[in-house]
Amino acid sequence: MNIVVAIKHIPSIADDVPVKGNNVDFDSVDFVLNEWDEHSIEQAVLIKEAVGGTVTVIGVDLIGELDNALHLALAKGADKVVKITADDPAADSHMQAKWLSEAIKGMGANMVFAGVQASNDLDGQIGPMIAAYLDMPYIGGVSSVEANSDSATVNKEFAGGAGAKYSVSMPFVAGVQAAPKPPRYAPVSKVRQMAQSATVEKVAPSGDASSGLTFKKMAPPVVTGHAEMIEGSSKEVAAKIVELLKSKGLA
Amino acid sequence: MLTPIEKILFILLALVSAGFTFHGFKTIIDTVRKGRPAPELKNIPASLLKAGVTVLFQRTIFKARKALSAVHLGLFFGLITYAFVNLFDVLEGLIPNFDLTYSGKHLAPPAWTIPLINIYSLVSDVMSMFLLIAITIFLVRRFIVKDKALTYRENVLLNPKVKAGGQAKDSLIVGVFVIMHVTAHVLSQAYRLTEGADPFMPFASFLNSIFGASETGMHVAWWVSIGWVMFIIPYLSRSKHTHFFMAPINLGLAKQNPRGQLDPAIPLKVIDGRKYDPGAKVITDLAWKRILDAYACVQCNRCQDVCPANFYQRPLSPSALEVNKRYLLKEATFGSHPDLLLAPLTETVISPEAVWSCTTCYACVRVCPVGNEPMADIVDIRRRMLIDGFEIDSGVQTALQSLATNGNWMGKGKRLRGRWAKELEFPVKNATEEPVEVLWFVGDTASFDERVIPNTKMVARIFHQAGLDFGILYQNESNAGNDVRRVGEEGLFEQLVEQNMAAFGKAQFQRIVTTDPHSFNTLKNEYPQFGGKFEVKHYTVTLLKLFEEGKLTVKNKLSHYKVTFHDPCYLGRYNGGFTAPRKLLELLGVEFHEMPRNCENSFCCGAGGGQIWMGKVAPGERPAENRIKEALSTFEKHPSDKKQLFIVTCPKDMVMYSDAVKTTGNEGKIEVRDIIQLVAEAVGVEEVSPIVG
Repeated sequence: MNIVVAIKHIPSIADDVPVKGNNVDFDSVDFVLNEWDEHSIEQAVLIKEAVGGTVTVIGVDLIGELDNALHLALAKGADKVVKITADDPAADSHMQAKWLSEAIKGMGANMVFAGVQASNDLDGQIGPMIAAYLDMPYIGGVSSVEANSDSATVNKEFAGGAGAKYSVSMPFVAGVQAAPKPPRYAPVSKVRQMAQSATVEKVAPSGDASSGLTFKKMAPPVVTGHAEMIEGSSKEVAAKIVELLKSKGLA
Repeated sequence: MLTPIEKILFILLALVSAGFTFHGFKTIIDTVRKGRPAPELKNIPASLLKAGVTVLFQRTIFKARKALSAVHLGLFFGLITYAFVNLFDVLEGLIPNFDLTYSGKHLAPPAWTIPLINIYSLVSDVMSMFLLIAITIFLVRRFIVKDKALTYRENVLLNPKVKAGGQAKDSLIVGVFVIMHVTAHVLSQAYRLTEGADPFMPFASFLNSIFGASETGMHVAWWVSIGWVMFIIPYLSRSKHTHFFMAPINLGLAKQNPRGQLDPAIPLKVIDGRKYDPGAKVITDLAWKRILDAYACVQCNRCQDVCPANFYQRPLSPSALEVNKRYLLKEATFGSHPDLLLAPLTETVISPEAVWSCTTCYACVRVCPVGNEPMADIVDIRRRMLIDGFEIDSGVQTALQSLATNGNWMGKGKRLRGRWAKELEFPVKNATEEPVEVLWFVGDTASFDERVIPNTKMVARIFHQAGLDFGILYQNESNAGNDVRRVGEEGLFEQLVEQNMAAFGKAQFQRIVTTDPHSFNTLKNEYPQFGGKFEVKHYTVTLLKLFEEGKLTVKNKLSHYKVTFHDPCYLGRYNGGFTAPRKLLELLGVEFHEMPRNCENSFCCGAGGGQIWMGKVAPGERPAENRIKEALSTFEKHPSDKKQLFIVTCPKDMVMYSDAVKTTGNEGKIEVRDIIQLVAEAVGVEEVSPIVG
């Protein structure tokens, strides 16, 4: 079984996301692996463990730091990792989908997994667009994949917890919502071992695509006031409320 | 005394017994040698000698259960005496006319030996009675009173043979042996008193007054007494009473490194260029000392008594871990299951759930009379489980992933670490940009937890007021890694150490001060192994010094507070930091009461060793809740209207105990405060509302 997992590097929201001009200030933000992609890697490795095969993880290197995510994928059980050296942090999902499709085209994939969406743009388009470029069927919202010889049994989740079971013939593209098991932990020693020994294949970006959308304005969320908790006995609280109302000219 | 035929029989029996004994102990030594290399021990003869003295005075058992320990002391001296008694009995049996009865007059010994022989007669006679009393007390305790301390919780993984009563069988055999053996010896003495009572043998003389003297009786009693010994010595090597021999040795070879320094995940000294995986999956992955532990343990369960996880009804018993190890080894080496040496520890000696219940509080290691370190086994098992991809608790995984990417377990960006300092009314130096005298290592909880940040700011204000030249590392600080290492993530620990060492390298400072006992422990005890050689102090020590130097003065005595103090594991038990907090409280003028479990015997809050990260919370009374009740019952003995405070010196304690006060419904009765809040009140630093914006 030949499984290709397309991943996406996105700005971390652990920190405040700074804005510069009409976009994120990419110089002062850390990049991390999209959360849903962790699930698609897990799903791919689970299939490999069940029926054998190879897992290739591929992503667009936006800021020259994708190696960390790729080493992590290797430590979790991927066999091969590829980065598309774009060095363009602003590349949108249309652009990335095009580059990824061009690189995946020659890989002879039976299945291509992508996270069902990414938390930076939330447009969930990379999977469907890869499917379109590669002329493969697409199934999104996937919660588990079981590989048979030339087809797969795929569970898909709907809103409200309803689920459906599909038989999908290979090759196909799946947008993974969640792996059947939580993504495994990769011990740092293994990741570091991979960083020392593994080779990351480099591919130049090829092709061009555009969403046709441009950012008009991006702004950080407006900080509104926090609720103030008034503590003390009921008398003290009442007195403070009166004082507050007076100070606002309301009493 | 013995007839020639008896002598031949005895020598044959002795040879068979010696053969089995040799085989028994050789098997144990060979098994211990199957373990991995342990950190090198220095000056072994001296530490063995020291252990000998400890054993002689039975020092270590008196840390708990004082009355039973006194009985053990009687048993110990009784058995030591009996080693000589048996030797002399054998000599009397084999050497014609060798007879110590009536001061050995048959030997016509030199006059000066007669008082010695009399003393021997008296001591052995009195000790015989002591032994019988002591062993009876222990047998009554186990079989009639059925002391619960000798049992295990239902949910603790136990070797089937232990479950079926293997330990009780051992106890019964040894108990019956001691009674039969001692009685037979005294009888043999009684039968040989042909001239009536010997004032130096009151017990034997009493029996002589009933049974009289008898040549046949003497022979029969001799054979019962010594015959038992020939049987029991080889048996001991195969039972829990290997303890008799292995406990002193184990104590002599016990940990020499600081308590707060974990043994490495992979042996530093490699034998035969062997490749080692980190941690332990099977029993021979453990260091040889951990294997020796199993033979030294006699399952007194003192460790279980003090274990916070066991209290919390989790399936962990450090003692069960040791007994399971010994039964596994016994079945693998003396029995017919050598394959057990390759059985996963998590299936045979400790359940995975138990492995992940340990708070690494060190109470089990501290209380162990024979120098065992069950906690070290648990950390090693965690290490391998992580490498082998065992599914870990989701909360722990989230924490570790955040630590790997953000350097803190709270999922916050690095740049946010020093944000609290920006909200102060004075600038806090960045130690990576300008030299400082004191580098304050703040830690995760104190930097990010909204409940703790006010205290963090208070520390800064006090330092500032005292004119202390201090700075912090801001985004260059990473979690120190103490709990990461104890969760078993050695690789991540090393990564964090490297990050912090790089940050320290950029900074100029004279010493490190930390508000977090966990950071304190690893910075002080483990960073030196990675080249981090610096002076590290806990903030309680720094505060005390500032008072002593007159840089801080108590303006308002706090006599309106009634307080107790909780020793954090990693400050107290691990690093002996008992006095500074208590001296501070004395200076502040509070009414202070000690809880029953204090200092070395402090009871863990339940947060350490990664427990605070756990996503799942088990039902039952939590250790922190029990501790709050302990504090309240301490206060009950000193009733007054004063405000009752539970004083902590660890950010994790602040979180754990504030929560426990709420969950036990004791709000209004007791309040949890960091010692810095009292210091602030006493020196007159008011909390300033944060500057927003």
